[in-house]
Amino acid sequence: MNVIEINKLTKYYGQARGIIDVSFNVGEGEIFGFIGPNGAGKSTTIRTLLALIYPTSGSATIFGKDCIRYAPEIARDVGYLPSEVFYYERMKVIDLLQYAASFYKKDCSKRIFELAEIMDLDLKKRIDDLSFGNKKKVGIVQGLLHDPRLIILDEPTSGLDPLMQQKFFDLLLEENQKGATILLSSHVLSEVQRLCSRVAIIKDGQIIKLEKISDLTENNYKKFKIEMKEDIRREYFEMAGINNLALEGSKVSFLFKGNINLILKKLAYVEIENIWIEEPSLEEVFIHYYEKEA
Amino acid sequence: MNIFFRELKAHQRSLILWSMAIFFMIISSIGKFTAYAETGQSMNELLSQIPASIKAVLGMGGFDLTKISGFYGMLYLYLLLMATIHAALLGANIIAKEETEKTTEFLMVKPVSRANIITAKLLAALFNIVVFNLVTLFFSVTLMGKYIKGENITREILILMVGMFILQLMFLVIGTVTAAAGKRPGSAASITTTILVVTFIISSAININSKLAFLKFITPFAYFKAEKLLNGGGFDLVFVILSLVIITILVFVTYTSYGKRDLMV
Repeated sequence: MNVIEINKLTKYYGQARGIIDVSFNVGEGEIFGFIGPNGAGKSTTIRTLLALIYPTSGSATIFGKDCIRYAPEIARDVGYLPSEVFYYERMKVIDLLQYAASFYKKDCSKRIFELAEIMDLDLKKRIDDLSFGNKKKVGIVQGLLHDPRLIILDEPTSGLDPLMQQKFFDLLLEENQKGATILLSSHVLSEVQRLCSRVAIIKDGQIIKLEKISDLTENNYKKFKIEMKEDIRREYFEMAGINNLALEGSKVSFLFKGNINLILKKLAYVEIENIWIEEPSLEEVFIHYYEKEA
Repeated sequence: MNIFFRELKAHQRSLILWSMAIFFMIISSIGKFTAYAETGQSMNELLSQIPASIKAVLGMGGFDLTKISGFYGMLYLYLLLMATIHAALLGANIIAKEETEKTTEFLMVKPVSRANIITAKLLAALFNIVVFNLVTLFFSVTLMGKYIKGENITREILILMVGMFILQLMFLVIGTVTAAAGKRPGSAASITTTILVVTFIISSAININSKLAFLKFITPFAYFKAEKLLNGGGFDLVFVILSLVIITILVFVTYTSYGKRDLMV
């Protein structure tokens, strides 16, 4: 069963492009990555799913219900962490969290304390006095306190130190084990790679790729790093399947996609000092999607 | 209900400050009145020298300022201005603040519909203007009664407060509709205040120049004139109905336009 189904969702802000014909599904229990550079349309998609803005055309369902029409009903089981968190002034953390909890028809106080403990958050402080990172923690607790079945995260880790990021990811994995579906939008590919099973890549408002993480990294690409005995000309490596070629004197690096024997045969004709063949990171795989066509 | 109480709490401080302002407005005017009353007839003679147009602008109009009722009629205009400014700002801000303070992403993803959010906010705002009205009534009656001996004007004050309440409602919903329907919620408060000032000036202009009387339909300030209410003229049914119709329409537009538009994040 799909928790989120997006069907040709399009949003224009007046004349300005938001997203165009975005379609993808997120299955139950899945951790789904949504990646793209800033301004590509990630937040627009998410805000439409949350009915903060209305689509120009197309539609989306969450839990099988239209995300605009049944927004309040859907919201009972959705937890959302926005990329930038802002809260009402002159409120203590605990007051804000209890206010947030008051919208759900269940007792969330135990979970508030558990989450605050895990995220090392001081509940007695005033929100105005918190640092950016600590406000983010309030957002995390606020988004998870009602045990949502769907968690939507928009650039969740900005402002969190690495230790907190780790705790936060553990928390998300734990929620996922308990059955929560997660939609994680990010431009930090490594965090998507760590958590997600599938990704949609968005660029200039359109989905350009929809794939399993494992397919993207394991099956397709190898990362080559070679030190030659002597300098080599760039033309030598101009063959199909080679991407991101970087040449620096006798050092060469590139990503290779295709029949591995072809590239090994080619390498057999040159004198090699040293060679590394690795799984590329998502960053390296997607870098060419990110670079705007010149 | 949680949004309602949150809004009450958020406006508590402002309501206290406004109440203090009402108190000082009335008490300082009473000081002036005592001075007027002592000079008696000579004061009225002096005032009669002032051109009618300036009197109209200052709100002195046709009041006998040596009489308590006449004096309160003039004070009422200032209280009315305060009440409508309060209501207009309250209406604009209570709707716009989620967007201007960027809390949209907090509130709007909760399991509550936009219509219910508007309802809670309108009720909280209504509560605030009722309190404002009652505080004005209370200070008017008690302070006037305590410091000024003579005719009892409690009944007149009550009538004036009813008129004030209708105008408060009117400017409250002008505020909410501006914030709910406008493209830029951040400027809702200034747009509403501009509407208030312009309609007030039009109403003054009508006082100065009776040829402009046809304009009285477009300025709520001309709907219930203190002079008329004080002189036993009562409420003009046409304007009571007109007010209620305008208020109802604006409430309706507040709901529909806020439900339909994209929220600013």
